[in-house]
Amino acid sequence: MSGRVEAAGRWGLVAPRGGAANGQGPAPLGARFARNRLAVAGLVVVVLFLLFCFVGPLVYSTDQTHTDLTQVNLAPGGAHWLGTDAVGHDQLGRLMYGGQVSLLVGLAAGVLATVIGTLWGAVAGYAGGWVDAVMMRVVDAGIAIPALFILLVVSAITSPGTPGLILILGLVSWLVPSRLVRAETLTLKNRDYVLTLRATGGTHGRAIRRHILPNSVSTIVVAATFQVADAILLVAYVSYLGLGVQPPATDWGGMLSAGLTAAYSGRWWLIVPPGLAIILVVCAFNAIGDGLRDAFDVRGRS
Amino acid sequence: METLLYLTRRLLQALAVILIVTIVVFCLLHALPGGPARGILGPQATAQQIAAFNHEQGLDRSLPVQYVYYLRDLVRGDLGTSYTLNEAVSRLIEQRLPKTLVLTVLSALVGLLLAVPLGMWQAVRRNKPTDYVITTLSFVAYSTPVYFLGLVLVMVFTQSLRWFPSQAPQGDTLAQVFADPAGLVLPVVTGAASMVAVFSRYMRASTLENLSEDYVRTARAGGAGRYAVLFRHVFRNSLTPVIAMLGYYVPVLFGGALVVEQLFNYPGMGLLFWSAAQSSDYPVLLGCVLVISVATVVGTLLADVVQRVVDPRVKEGRV
Amino acid sequence: MNDILEIDGLGVTFSTETGDVPAVRDVSLRVRPGETLALVGESGSGKSTVALAAMGLLPGTARTSGRVEVDGTDVVGASEAELARLRGRTASMVFQEPATALDPLTRVGAQIAEVVRNHRAVSRSEAAREAVELLRRVGIPEPERRASAFPFQLSGGQRQRVVIAMAIANSPGLLIADEPTTALDVTVQAEILDLLRRLAADSGTGVLLVTHNMGVVADFADRVAVMLRGEVVETGPVEEVLLRPTHAYTRKLLAAVPRLRFDGEGDTPAPDAPAPAAPAPDARSADADVPVVRLRDVSVRFGRGIRAVQALDGVSLDVLPGETVGLVGESGSGKSTAARVALGLVAPAAGSVSLFGTELGRTRGRARRALLSGVGVVLQDPVASLDARMSVAECVAEPLRTHRRGMSAAERRERVGEALELVRLPRELAGRGPRELSGGQRQRVSLARALVLRPRLLVADEPTSALDVSVQRTVLEVIAELQRELGFACLFVSHDLAVVQEFARRVVVLRAGRIEEQGPVMSTLLRPEKEYTRRLIAAVPVPDPVVQRRRRAARRTGAAT
Repeated sequence: MSGRVEAAGRWGLVAPRGGAANGQGPAPLGARFARNRLAVAGLVVVVLFLLFCFVGPLVYSTDQTHTDLTQVNLAPGGAHWLGTDAVGHDQLGRLMYGGQVSLLVGLAAGVLATVIGTLWGAVAGYAGGWVDAVMMRVVDAGIAIPALFILLVVSAITSPGTPGLILILGLVSWLVPSRLVRAETLTLKNRDYVLTLRATGGTHGRAIRRHILPNSVSTIVVAATFQVADAILLVAYVSYLGLGVQPPATDWGGMLSAGLTAAYSGRWWLIVPPGLAIILVVCAFNAIGDGLRDAFDVRGRS
Repeated sequence: METLLYLTRRLLQALAVILIVTIVVFCLLHALPGGPARGILGPQATAQQIAAFNHEQGLDRSLPVQYVYYLRDLVRGDLGTSYTLNEAVSRLIEQRLPKTLVLTVLSALVGLLLAVPLGMWQAVRRNKPTDYVITTLSFVAYSTPVYFLGLVLVMVFTQSLRWFPSQAPQGDTLAQVFADPAGLVLPVVTGAASMVAVFSRYMRASTLENLSEDYVRTARAGGAGRYAVLFRHVFRNSLTPVIAMLGYYVPVLFGGALVVEQLFNYPGMGLLFWSAAQSSDYPVLLGCVLVISVATVVGTLLADVVQRVVDPRVKEGRV
Repeated sequence: MNDILEIDGLGVTFSTETGDVPAVRDVSLRVRPGETLALVGESGSGKSTVALAAMGLLPGTARTSGRVEVDGTDVVGASEAELARLRGRTASMVFQEPATALDPLTRVGAQIAEVVRNHRAVSRSEAAREAVELLRRVGIPEPERRASAFPFQLSGGQRQRVVIAMAIANSPGLLIADEPTTALDVTVQAEILDLLRRLAADSGTGVLLVTHNMGVVADFADRVAVMLRGEVVETGPVEEVLLRPTHAYTRKLLAAVPRLRFDGEGDTPAPDAPAPAAPAPDARSADADVPVVRLRDVSVRFGRGIRAVQALDGVSLDVLPGETVGLVGESGSGKSTAARVALGLVAPAAGSVSLFGTELGRTRGRARRALLSGVGVVLQDPVASLDARMSVAECVAEPLRTHRRGMSAAERRERVGEALELVRLPRELAGRGPRELSGGQRQRVSLARALVLRPRLLVADEPTSALDVSVQRTVLEVIAELQRELGFACLFVSHDLAVVQEFARRVVVLRAGRIEEQGPVMSTLLRPEKEYTRRLIAAVPVPDPVVQRRRRAARRTGAAT
């Protein structure tokens, strides 16, 4: 969409056909991405959070396994910059510690979902016909079952650890990328260069390897970015509903869940930091996805 | 004739999707530890009791046969019996579903009524401060976990300002729900927030795309002013694809309702589902999943049909 | 009488990401009431920009200087409200693409009525009645019923009539037509041009006609202005400019236009026309009589049920070794489908396809690929034909990689270089990306790819119709020369009868999926047997105003009898 929109100028008037051709190719990807300030800010936020969660504990070391009932519910200040929670964990340290789980699960589940979705969508789109019809009905069915509900049912049956959580999240959220990749594959397989290749005896394998996959990379990368954002949110929901990783391990959603009652008694430091962390990171991934989509000039989630 | 053919095809597709959903739910039911028998008889049941129960319920038959029986029960409206509430699942859902529908429909309406003008405004003010501010806000709204937003709203509007109650209206009938409109405000606003975020983005993109269409230039060449073009032509053309997205948003709305109901203690299907998850009440869980999935399929179907009515071009319902 | 359009020293500059790009420089033009001025030029010449500037419809990235006056009103400095009062009343515009020019969700009658009510305080029902009357004036049958149709329910020609109805709704003094017939078939083009001419004559409207087609200019214009890179290089009466051009660029442009020869014109061959390719001597080998392509009773249906379309119906044709067969017809005639059947991209519902004497439908896997390695393909769209992610060298090397897997990188590089030279491109282009090339260069890269394996058959589906005439001429010449050198057969799909006449030896005329007639180009296109072919040829405008006037009169009387 955005290519045409770029040309629209003030209030949707297209540049005249064959009018001003500027003779130069588009600016390189990095430059186009850098022009989107929100996206650049998103990238900075993600990098900062990765440093905070994975390098932070080396600098600011806290005990997140043992409870310390002498240091319960302390307000921010002194030795505990962000205070302590109901069992005496340092809240800032816990934010780093929980962030590791949130980010790890989010990234891994997002990538897993994209991989599954890409394979499924590419096969359906390229095969076409009844194979496509059946595969897409399965996707419709998957979309019809709200992911949160399926997650709760599965979590009720087994209580998953981190790898299990990644697997389950990946398995319930591959549907959107599969639809995007299918649409992309459908367009690409009818491109003139693919038709030319097939008409002159090129194999399907070559068409997929040399043309369809490389040309879908941008769609896939954009989808993956949005997928990571959604996965981080989903982890937070699962943990909030009490079905995420089990204590003493935690994640941002779990921290929110644990601090829920505290919110009514004015202990904001148990609620606001993890909440803001989730919002910031998810926002950041969405902004990156948005910037990448504009830079790649691909269609995707709006 | 053409429309009839389309409707038939679309209905068949929807049925196929529902069939796949039943297979998924059926598989989940049999993936339960110890199978349905252990779930129903409880952890204290002996092996003999389980075997007897299995035989009585036909659970020792082959899976495909059981699936056929399961389907037969579904068609009769029999979703099983709740372990904990000791009532037919269908009865429970019958009581709770209307309340959830009130919540989701209100949220969707409020969300759309805000999102559509916002998206259009952004498109018109593209790359101006207005656009950036709304874009940033919608990113934030989309990225905020629903329960966190609800919590913040409660802290602000209930605890500090004391404008609205933190509890949703209680009571079994819809009349009782509507008797307390103030109680509905926070749940509906919470549910609508992410909807505004998502749909204002759709509407913005769709409007931008339409603003660059040739027919805009034709209309302006005929002497139509900017706002005349926007409201007479661009608005309708931009809205139709957004309507088509509504169908796919149904599961998200139900997901939101699950959290909102739990947060505001609203006795709808979401709360039913949540408590069922706490007590491993599988028949209720799976019954709810089935009903919501069917609702989604119906929602998508309706959105497609509506789009076909609104947009005479849509000859082929591409799913 | 005052000029209805007066342009003086018009300059337009677009600001882009890479800096300012001047599109139009110091253009001065005049259109008098009742007169038609044709603005001609190739893509990028700035002709459409001038047209949009006259309506004040340029995008916000454009900066305009100079003076543009429509019926005495200044356009350049006018406010949006002043422009809105002007547009659709004093000056109207007809656009190129009838498929997208109308609001898809509004009934056509309502769209016309809207233009009426934009400028005159008439009631809704009065405007609706006027809309029906306008539809009748532009020759839409059953206007009362058609007024409530949606645009998608009308054909391309009818949609363009609706756009014209909108343009004349308030009897404007100036009508600007930007390539009004470029997206239409020739027979429809002739009707639309007739309509525009009649309307302009009836009401004394001045017309600014923007076009790249010299035939249309000869058919319609009183005066001509030729544009090159944003400037007007030659202006004059149509006979002067088309028959006695003074500027070198105009001469070059006119020389590049493929000219249709027709019965009664005198058999002078067009200047610089490549002679129809004769089969190369070595093609007359033992299997000279085995056709490289043979379609037998081929039928193709798209879709199922009541929406199914019969794209081809019992089509049989042969292409002999070394020979060029032109496949012509209007849009929807099935000519591209026939080419795709020959390439094995579309499987026929009935009938058989043979390549080089082997039935394509019976071969599988390796054998099928080996068979297809004897085929080269060039398709219409210069942008979509090359994968933008590959270098030119990779694009051209693709057939080598599929069919000569053992070939060393060095040898492959050599073959790619040879192929590029073959199509008159420098070897240095190999490292570039397709995005850096012009449309004509891209089509020649496609041709190099098609010929790198020295195929026995080239299938070219409208290989030059997206190109400007001068570029088209070069590409066609390259193909013709290579054909003489290499002796491949060619299945050439085109909507342009003049190009086919110059380029092919035999011609197959398709109509609605059936073969209307086929035979040697010189007899079939000069003395067609079928009424349909005659109509098709009569509708092609030739770039000679004197001859074209005669043809038009003949077509009218022919249509009357």
